[in-house]
Order: sequence, then C-alpha cells, then structure tokens
Amino acid sequence: MGRTANEWGQKPPLPETHYVDSLVYTDEEIFEEEKRRIFAKTWMLACHESELPEPNDYRTYHHPAGANLIVVRGEDDEVRSFYNVCPHRGNTVLYSPSGNAKRMTCIFHAWSFDYLGNCVGLPREKAGYCSGDDCGITRADLGLRGVRTQVGYGGFVYVNLDDDCGPLEDHIGAALDTIIEQIDTEPLEVFSYHRAVVDTNYKLWHDTNSEFYHDYLHVHNRLTSMKQEGYFERKMIPFPNGHAEVGSQEVHYEAYEGGKGRADAGFPGVEGNPWSLIDLFPGYSYNLRASVLRVDSQIPLGPNKTIVEYRSLGLKSDNEEQRRQRVKDNLVIWGPFGRNLHEDLLAVHGQGRAIPNGSRYVLHGREEDSTIHDEVGMRHFYAEWSKHMGRLASDPTKKSETGEPARV
Amino acid sequence: MITSIAADRGIHERVRELIYRSCLHLDEGDFEGWLGLCAPEFRYTITAYSPEIRKEMTWLDHDRDGMDGLFKMLPKHNSDHTPLTRHASVYLIEFDEAGSEASVLTSVVVYRTQLDGGSTDLFAVGKYFDTVSLEGETPLLAARNVRLDTREFGIGSHMPL
Repeated sequence: MGRTANEWGQKPPLPETHYVDSLVYTDEEIFEEEKRRIFAKTWMLACHESELPEPNDYRTYHHPAGANLIVVRGEDDEVRSFYNVCPHRGNTVLYSPSGNAKRMTCIFHAWSFDYLGNCVGLPREKAGYCSGDDCGITRADLGLRGVRTQVGYGGFVYVNLDDDCGPLEDHIGAALDTIIEQIDTEPLEVFSYHRAVVDTNYKLWHDTNSEFYHDYLHVHNRLTSMKQEGYFERKMIPFPNGHAEVGSQEVHYEAYEGGKGRADAGFPGVEGNPWSLIDLFPGYSYNLRASVLRVDSQIPLGPNKTIVEYRSLGLKSDNEEQRRQRVKDNLVIWGPFGRNLHEDLLAVHGQGRAIPNGSRYVLHGREEDSTIHDEVGMRHFYAEWSKHMGRLASDPTKKSETGEPARV
Repeated sequence: MITSIAADRGIHERVRELIYRSCLHLDEGDFEGWLGLCAPEFRYTITAYSPEIRKEMTWLDHDRDGMDGLFKMLPKHNSDHTPLTRHASVYLIEFDEAGSEASVLTSVVVYRTQLDGGSTDLFAVGKYFDTVSLEGETPLLAARNVRLDTREFGIGSHMPL
C-alpha cells in the first residue's frame, strides 16, 4: 500500500549519512552556493592538452562557476588560462571552441592579447589614454584575468578560479594511483568528444558514476561483468577530498552479442580486460576499460540542468590499426549511440523529471562491506559536499556547526 | 559525358526509392526490412567532425552482421522508446563508369516525437553518403555513412539514423 503524504515526508529510518534531502538536487539557492563554495574554489577539468597540440592553440571552457575561460598553449609550451573577457568593454575575446591565435584579438575594438595574457594591441592607445607622455592607464593595467592552471593526471588541463588555492596534487591525492601507470607513462590523445545537455542535477550524474548497483540498468554490464567471476568482490575505495575508486575486474566482453576482448590495443601496464573507475570531487571521473579511457566532466548550468562532457582517449603514439580498434571499442557502449551511455542518461533524465516533482529523500543506504553494490561512494561524496557547503545533505536547511564532513 | 546508365531515368527512380525505403523501414522499426535493403558487404557508420578537438569522430561502425546483432539486442536494452522520424531529400546520384555502383548524397533530418504528449523536437541534421550496388536485380545499399552536423543529442539513442 502506498504511503500517505505524512509518511512520505518522514525521514528514512537510516543514519543521516545514508540519505539526502531532495532539496540538494533542486534548490536554486543551494545551487548558487555550490558555485561559490565548491566550483569557484576547486580544481576543475577544463580540457586535455592534446586539444592544444601547437603553440598558440586554444580551447574555450565554460567554467561551472560561471566564467568563460580561454585555455592556451604558449610559445614556451606552457598551458595557461584566462577569463574569456576583454578588459575594455567586457566582450567575449574568442568565440570558437578551439583554434590558433598568435594574438587573441577582441572583435569589438581590436584589443589584442598574447599567450601570457598581456595586452599587446590597443588601437589609438595614446590618443585615448595619454596626455603627452602622461598616461593614466597603460597596457600593463589591461591584461587578461589569469586563472590558476595545472596539467597532469593523464595530460588533463585543470583550472582553479581561486588564486589562493592549493596545488592540484593536494586535491587529487592518491585517488588516481591505481591507474597512474596507464595514464601517465606516455602521452594520451582525445579521439572522441561530445557533450550531453540533460535536465538533471550534476550530482545525479556523479552519483550514477559512483554506484554500480545500477548495473541492472545495462544488459551489457549484466552479461559482461555482473554474471562473471569477481564482480561482487570489487571494492569501493574512498579517498580524501570526496574521491572514490571502484576496484577493477576482468570484463568478459565476448559475453555480449558481437563483443570481443580489448587487450589488443591496450594501455601501458594493462593486461587482459580490466575496468577501473575513479570519481573525483566535485564532478568528473576517469573510466578506463582496457583500451579506452573515458573521462566525464560536468558543467552544471542550474539545479536541474547540466552539461556532461565526454572525452575518449587512446595513446598519442597509436598506429592506424590501434586507433581504429580503440574507436570501435569505444562506440560499443559509449558515445552518443553507445549501448550504455543512452541508458545512463535516460536514468538521470528520469531523476531530473521526478525529483523536483514529488521526491522527498534519496537513499544512499546500501551497506555491503564496501563491495560493488555498497553505496559508500555516494555517502563519501556527500560528506565532502557537506564540508564545503556547511550544510548536511540529509537536511540542507540546517547549517552544520563544525563544517566538518559527516561520518560515512 | 553521361554514361548509359546515368541516362536511364528508371535507375534514378529505383535508387531514390531505395534511400526513401531505408528511412521508412527504420521509422517503422522494421529492421528486417531495412537489412533486406543492404548488400552482404554493407557497412554502416555514423561520423562527425568535432570543432572542439578538431578531429573526425566515429560514433557507430558495423558491418551487416553487426547491424543485425545490434537490432536483435535492442529489446534487451532500456530505452525511452521515443520514435525517430527521418526526412530525407536525395540531392545527388552519381554513377561509376561501369554502371555497377552509384554514389548518393542525401540530406537527412531526424525528428524525435515524445510518447507522452506527442511533442516533436529536432533530433539531428546531417547527410547520408551512400554507396549503392547496382549489380543485382534491385539496387542495394553497400555502404552508408551518416555524416552528422548535430553533435549534441540530449540523452542520445540506441537507434541508427
């Protein structure tokens, strides 16, 4: 029998760490606070260095905290980032998602900037700003706004809007150690990129990546993993700063119609068909399935709208045959027409429809000794979230007194 | 010079009909009918160019058996079963010298109609680049590359376009 409204509104009979109030997925005020307290102060994944192969190559990036950024490889080979905002009249400096610009020139009044962010071109500068040799404002005052940038962990470009932030290494910690040989032995290259704009909260996508109980959603995973030896022994391993790893397992791709093993292309240090997934706070993940590394990164647009960016990578040194194999491996379950991705997106889209329209609490309560269907990954994420937000995820209307993460 | 086959207006019509039937079969979920239009050597790809990474990308790539397997597995997958409807316009048909093959360029627009309420949205725009075998009694698809301009599909789809 269905529950009454009163019963539906009751807190679940679980520890407060084992469920979240649906408000964390729907509330506009909480979302705006997330932008200030989390995205504006945390290392975010902007792009991959292979998207900037040559000096003066650039990529634009819509930062989740709201700023549009330019990521540029300098003539000194260093990757830097700047706000994509002209200091003159606030116009967008670069419109294309990628390109090469020795001088980044604003179309509005032709102010231009170099790869260091210096203003190097200002039409009729002296006529406008100087009286004789007395210039009230000079080019030195008119550079682009720089953003902290680091390249690492497989050649990804991370940015942090907080000038006073700690190094990227402090944020990632040991979370990627299990795949560091695979991703850092030789340069990687992105061979597929697409994005999905979904009416859902960004945390719901991250939650999905953080729990494998939803393997019931995917016939591919049921056949190739869940029915195979070792699946239920896989461990969920929490790391500091809200990150979590899903332990590896040998995947039997041949168990799915037309499937075959991925060992031929491989990655450095990979034997057979292992599968590792690491979720990084606050909204990106590394997903290595033997021959293809998929990296998801999110650009939340509102409490119930997010962009998920999907990059698939192989080795830069791939020969034609290796790359062809990786592309084929990738498209079976990933990519916009892959068998699994549509199902995952369908699920979070369904949550985006339902949660703002009747959900009260969302459960993260499964405990199975931190094995594959234990929901500890999500609990770990929300403990970190609470720490940043000063709110309990189970009751976000109350500010937490200590600001410390709740016990997982 | 116009080859003799190119001058045969009947073959133009049969090639056009092949393209349009391929759309109708997919619209109706008649996968056997669709495969019946494909030659044994058939290859199907969905590709696009990414301005973000400045690279060509492949999002689906199967031979005829691979497409058969994909169709057979569809009922076992979860989906919202939102129907897709294709609107095609054959732009160009060019024949090889031997008259054994035609290259066909077709503009294609794909709409998605929600089951709940029936609203229709644009799902994708692109082109079919088809190779048509003319060696049998009827023209058959020897290769189809669905070349997409659209690169953002919301929750995506399991269906070939």
